[in-house]
Amino acid sequence: MARLEEKLRCTKEPYAEEAGSRRIKSILFSTLSGEEIQKSAEVQVWKSNIYDVTMKPVENGLLDQRMGAANKAGHCTTCHGGFTDCPGHFGYVKLALPVYNIGFFANDLDILKCICKNCSRILLADKARREFLRKMRSPRADATYKKNLVKIIRDKCKVACCPWCGYINGTVKKKAPLSIIHDFSKGLDTNVDEVRKALSHKRDKFSCTPLPAIDPLKILLLFKRMPDEDCELLNLYSRPENLMVTTLAVPPVTIRPSSLVSFSNSSNEDSITGILREIINTNSKLREHLEAGDPPYKCIDTLWAHLQIKVVEYINSESPSVPESTNRGLVQRLKGKQGRFRGNLSGKRVEYTGRTVISPDPNLKITEVAIPVLMAKVLTYPERVSNHNIEKLRERVRNGPTKHPGANFITLPDGTKLHLKYVDRKIAACELRPGYVVERHLEDGDIVLFNRQPSLHRMSIMSHRARIRPWRTLRFNESVCNPYNADFDGDEMNMHVPQTEEARTEALMLMGVQNNLCTPKNGDILVASTQDFLTTSFLITRKDTFYDRPTFSLLCSYLGDAMEAIDLPTPALIKPIELWTGKQVFSVLVRPNAQTRVFLNLTVKEKIYKKNETMCPADGWVYFRNSELISGQLGKATLGNGNKAGLYSVLLRDYNAHAAASCMNRLAKFSARWIGNHGFSIGIDDIQPGERLNEQKSSKINEGYKKCDELITSYSEGQLTLQPGSDAAETLEQQITNVLNKIREGAGDVCMAELHWRNSPLIMSQCGSKGSPINISQMVACVGQQSVGGKRAPNGFIDRTLPHFPVNSKTPAAKGFVANSFYTGLTPTEFFFHTMGGREGLVDTAVKTAETGYMSRRLMKGLEDLAVYYDQTVRNASGGIVQFIYGDDGMDPAKMEGKDGVPLNLDQLFMKVMATCPHQDQGVLSPSEILKMTEERLSRLDTSPEGGCSGGFVKLLRDFVNKRVTLWKNTRRSLNLDEECLENKASCPEERVAANISGISAKQLQVFLETCTSRYQLKKVEGGAAVGAIGAQSIGEPGTQMTLKTFHFAGVASMNVTLGVPRIKEIINAAKNISTPIITATLLSDRDLLLARIVKSSIEKTVLGEVANRIRVVVKSGQPYVSVLLDMERIDSLHMKISADAVQQSILKHPKIKLKAEHVRVIRNDKLKIYAPEVDRSKLQYELHTIKCMLPKVIVKGIPTAERVVISEEKGVYKLAVEGTNLLAVMGTPGIDGCKTKSNHVMEVQRTLGIEAARQCIINEILYTMNSHGMSIDIRHMMLLADLMTYKGEILGITRFGITKMKDSVLMLASFEKTAEHLFNASYSGREDQIEGVSECIIMGIPMLLGTGMLKVRQRLDSIPEFKYQPDPIIS
Amino acid sequence: MVQLLFEDIFILQRIDPDGKKFDKVSRIEARSEQFDMYMQLDINTEIYPMRVGEKFTMVLAPTLNLDGTPDTGFYLPTNRKTLADKFEYVMHGKLYKISEDSSSGQTAKVEIYASFGGLLMMLKGDPSNASNFELDQRLFLLIRKV
Repeated sequence: MARLEEKLRCTKEPYAEEAGSRRIKSILFSTLSGEEIQKSAEVQVWKSNIYDVTMKPVENGLLDQRMGAANKAGHCTTCHGGFTDCPGHFGYVKLALPVYNIGFFANDLDILKCICKNCSRILLADKARREFLRKMRSPRADATYKKNLVKIIRDKCKVACCPWCGYINGTVKKKAPLSIIHDFSKGLDTNVDEVRKALSHKRDKFSCTPLPAIDPLKILLLFKRMPDEDCELLNLYSRPENLMVTTLAVPPVTIRPSSLVSFSNSSNEDSITGILREIINTNSKLREHLEAGDPPYKCIDTLWAHLQIKVVEYINSESPSVPESTNRGLVQRLKGKQGRFRGNLSGKRVEYTGRTVISPDPNLKITEVAIPVLMAKVLTYPERVSNHNIEKLRERVRNGPTKHPGANFITLPDGTKLHLKYVDRKIAACELRPGYVVERHLEDGDIVLFNRQPSLHRMSIMSHRARIRPWRTLRFNESVCNPYNADFDGDEMNMHVPQTEEARTEALMLMGVQNNLCTPKNGDILVASTQDFLTTSFLITRKDTFYDRPTFSLLCSYLGDAMEAIDLPTPALIKPIELWTGKQVFSVLVRPNAQTRVFLNLTVKEKIYKKNETMCPADGWVYFRNSELISGQLGKATLGNGNKAGLYSVLLRDYNAHAAASCMNRLAKFSARWIGNHGFSIGIDDIQPGERLNEQKSSKINEGYKKCDELITSYSEGQLTLQPGSDAAETLEQQITNVLNKIREGAGDVCMAELHWRNSPLIMSQCGSKGSPINISQMVACVGQQSVGGKRAPNGFIDRTLPHFPVNSKTPAAKGFVANSFYTGLTPTEFFFHTMGGREGLVDTAVKTAETGYMSRRLMKGLEDLAVYYDQTVRNASGGIVQFIYGDDGMDPAKMEGKDGVPLNLDQLFMKVMATCPHQDQGVLSPSEILKMTEERLSRLDTSPEGGCSGGFVKLLRDFVNKRVTLWKNTRRSLNLDEECLENKASCPEERVAANISGISAKQLQVFLETCTSRYQLKKVEGGAAVGAIGAQSIGEPGTQMTLKTFHFAGVASMNVTLGVPRIKEIINAAKNISTPIITATLLSDRDLLLARIVKSSIEKTVLGEVANRIRVVVKSGQPYVSVLLDMERIDSLHMKISADAVQQSILKHPKIKLKAEHVRVIRNDKLKIYAPEVDRSKLQYELHTIKCMLPKVIVKGIPTAERVVISEEKGVYKLAVEGTNLLAVMGTPGIDGCKTKSNHVMEVQRTLGIEAARQCIINEILYTMNSHGMSIDIRHMMLLADLMTYKGEILGITRFGITKMKDSVLMLASFEKTAEHLFNASYSGREDQIEGVSECIIMGIPMLLGTGMLKVRQRLDSIPEFKYQPDPIIS
Repeated sequence: MVQLLFEDIFILQRIDPDGKKFDKVSRIEARSEQFDMYMQLDINTEIYPMRVGEKFTMVLAPTLNLDGTPDTGFYLPTNRKTLADKFEYVMHGKLYKISEDSSSGQTAKVEIYASFGGLLMMLKGDPSNASNFELDQRLFLLIRKV
């Protein structure tokens, strides 16, 4: 009865860490012996029928009630629990004959190879055995080491004669699935031959290999006799006989529920039950035969084989030895996305969730989410009754489950739960006492988690505050679309309600929107204004928007909910009439009243910026000074996401998240109201081209067409000047593509210039809210070239794209140039080409999603457990150090303000300091004083490496101050003032002017330096930060955005490098062969073209065919030969220095042409004769012909793997780009600067230069790939990835092979890939999982040991010893 | 008496040197007679049209109060007599930048920049004219055609 009370832990209960001994510390994987299975089982199962006639489970049948309840009506007779309470109990089936466990079959085979098939001892001499045993027992041996050791032992065991008993062992082989043979045919036993001889005269063919097959029974006996020490040598944790199946555990009924079909005497059984039933059937038949003493080979063998196959099916129904099984075996239950590991253990189903369509609501704050009342009535939060909230909760209870601010349940302190639908709510409300828990409806201000799939980064799930609203959609501020990557075209989103105070607090502090405004990918702001908000800001800050007093006041009232005081600024125009400008509205928006102490200072270059900084004629230079908008028309660069110098970023860094968030709220509200009245729409007239536009467009197109025609003519005449490294056709394609691209660009420029400023698409493209100049030009002017696979439309017909064009036509129109615009409409052929391009895009997106998804998953599994510890090191779950300091400076990428991961944007900060603390009457410092003060500050502890300040930052700061000092000196010089010493301000007006221009006062400098250092210290990465997971997301997420562009020019035209997702994949897979290996070589004297050419020719692979004038077979009187005549002119012009002797050597070295020196004769400096080796006359001709065919391919000069070398020139500096591998040979080539030669092949760099170089190569390559797609990712993430890939001393790819070598945890590996394999291996070698990593903790349902779970709070329970005021009395 | 920061008569030389970008606002280029100052100024030409060749007086003052009491920063329209009464076009704004321009010749010039709610002014000339100005100063720009 004791078991009855011990209920299963319910996942619903909030997690409370159990104190003391109850925590699962580790899991040991091992195998169970038959007896152990029997002992732990409740019942022996031997009856094959399941239900009796009354549909009650049969005793000793598969659904015996002692194994648990079979369905809701059932009842467990072991623990007397119901279907929900009883965890189930095991049963067992005793097999008549042992069979293989399919999971261990390979292990069985390996063990058999190592032991004597007579005495069961290991086939090692005693000395070697001891030595290996010592190594195996070494405390430093880890799993991989042991695995390798076993491999060595297995190789050593390939001896025929057993050193212990002298028995001659044959080789053990697997023959056919599930049968092992002991093959003596290659043995040293001479007796076999004798027997064979003796039998040879017999007419019947006897097989003379004695007893070839080893059946499971024999193996079991052999295994049983193995001594324990030998088992240890083979890395076996438990006895080897456990690897064979003698007794089968029957799993509890609960995991294979049976459902009765109503109104008939039948039931639907789980496939496990089905297989087990067949096993029991076969087993009992087999037992009958055995007990009857039937001759063995009759039907026992077939039954035994059948039993074997069924047991295999039970374990793994997809095994190749099982013919077409429709059942799901145990392995199938575990593996795969829907399997136990990934489907139920790593991700669990939860309650208190909601999902519905989303829609926008600019009136909500960015931290809020509107939840429909319907949802709020179902989702509840258990609030504990206290004296403070009892009245509120009484109200809720009285309202009940149907009226909105109500409640659904009351839980009494004794655990009973009352549903408010079925009790008298008035009484229940009266009886409410402190300590009760009321599951009340969601109300305004509750914390919910909000999520949209795919959850690619941590900002895909954030916590918002609930606002209960009518209707049926979830609504949120459009500014938060970006982190979720949501739009409102029918997207649905999920919502979760945390159920405990701890969870709510943690959600609010860590996942709150206001705490996640920035992405840790590179520190850019992610939550920012979008679309309409940008358009509004752009329009309202135009220079010619003026408002009179009523309108301006109205606009100011749009900003908030009439809750904010607003100080009306002085109008910009006072006379002739009072007028305020639109920019003043924005100044009010940023700082509505004098009480708001926000002083915003920033400068941003907008898209429309042209020249002259603030005086830009297009007003594109945005300048905020002390929260006043001085100049500039605001657009995406200032207000949008992805700019570190933008308005919200600056507010966030200089002030706090609240300042940025409230500014966003105000803009959202203002924008929605303003643009609602102003109106903003697009119509057909917006894309109607004007007369002039049409003219200019057609002239541009004609011009381009003419150019193309010229190119085509010169191509067909063969007069095209070739581009380096390309042939005529390629050159033509490139040049035509260039011309055509220019047409579209030109058309776009004309559009942008000609369209009226009120044109909606133009406004949108200028402010960055939607669309680009290309989109406009496609609608208005010209759609442009359609491309498939980066080239012009391919030939779908013979030598032409479509049958509408002449054969071999290369004109723009015939190769997919669309001269029409979407407004004029496309011709049929143009339309067809357009669909070709469109289709490629669709296919690419579809393919890419799957590919990047898998890549992200692998990255995550590889990096999930890396975290920063409190000593600043980055370690994995088992405590192994991956980095000594995160990202070389211990900075948090999310907090970086400058470009390229620089901690601070000093220019902006300096500007802010200068503006917010004016020097007014304080004197300014002289240049030397400034430097002195700076040095003094920089010598203090908190700016030294010991104080946690990186040298790079100090240098940055010092350089910045020096730059300012130079500026200050320049100013003084140009105003004819002494550079060093200052004069009295009053006496010298120039001094005043100079101070106003670039003077720095002592206070300003001090504030600046203090802000820099204190802010720097705050930007350190926090202890416990899961930098690994963040790094994986930061690299995985941009992958999904990488567009079609897979190829790119590597400095030189015609030399392509793989880019995009395929390249990232190559790098993180640590691929042995990459698709475009390129070595960039620097020359020793890099301005010498001749040298470059010479070096090029000595690297580039040159074959005889390229330098030979002719190669022909000469059949004359005398011996026929092949004559080779070298093209000396060509050789000299390319500086190749190839002589006939060199060619002779090359021919001799060629592996396939097996000629000797006497066959290859040098006749002249440029002539060789090659004779065939002595063969008979008939074959001679043939032989010579073969040689003739092979000769052109003989490599006469260069590195065989260097396919092509291209000289690239940049500002007079020549460089070589080598297409191919063999970095070592290139570095060793004379004339090459080996120190500056790089390769993009990570594995080769590792082979040639070592692991550190490989690490740098990984970082550089990922950086290069990301940058060429216009994505900026903090270098610290790539460093971490590179470090993880290299920290074991060899390059480990983030693949199933690499990850297996990186991690020790079985559960983690099992939840990644090859689930069953890892589990079987673990139980074979008795692996122990310490449950320290992230995956394991999730699987076990305990908090993981990083982030907030890294440290534990301990409380002292025993009373603190009393403080004594005097020493203890000596005698008491 | 009001301490004027700057006063001079300008001749309008060009309107919209970079092309007309805005409907209501034009950028004028003008040169002063007395101090030979060069000025670029955005003017709302819708309510105060200007033409090339016109002469006008431009005054920069820290306050509109005739007695010279400093401006409070709060704008309260009253019926009192102010400096503005004598002018046709008055703007209020802020001086945001002073910089030197040493590109043209040896004699360095000083540029004074002010923004009147986004309507910008750039005044370039001899450093001696700039000594009255302070950064972040509130400015009233007053114009009267002559």
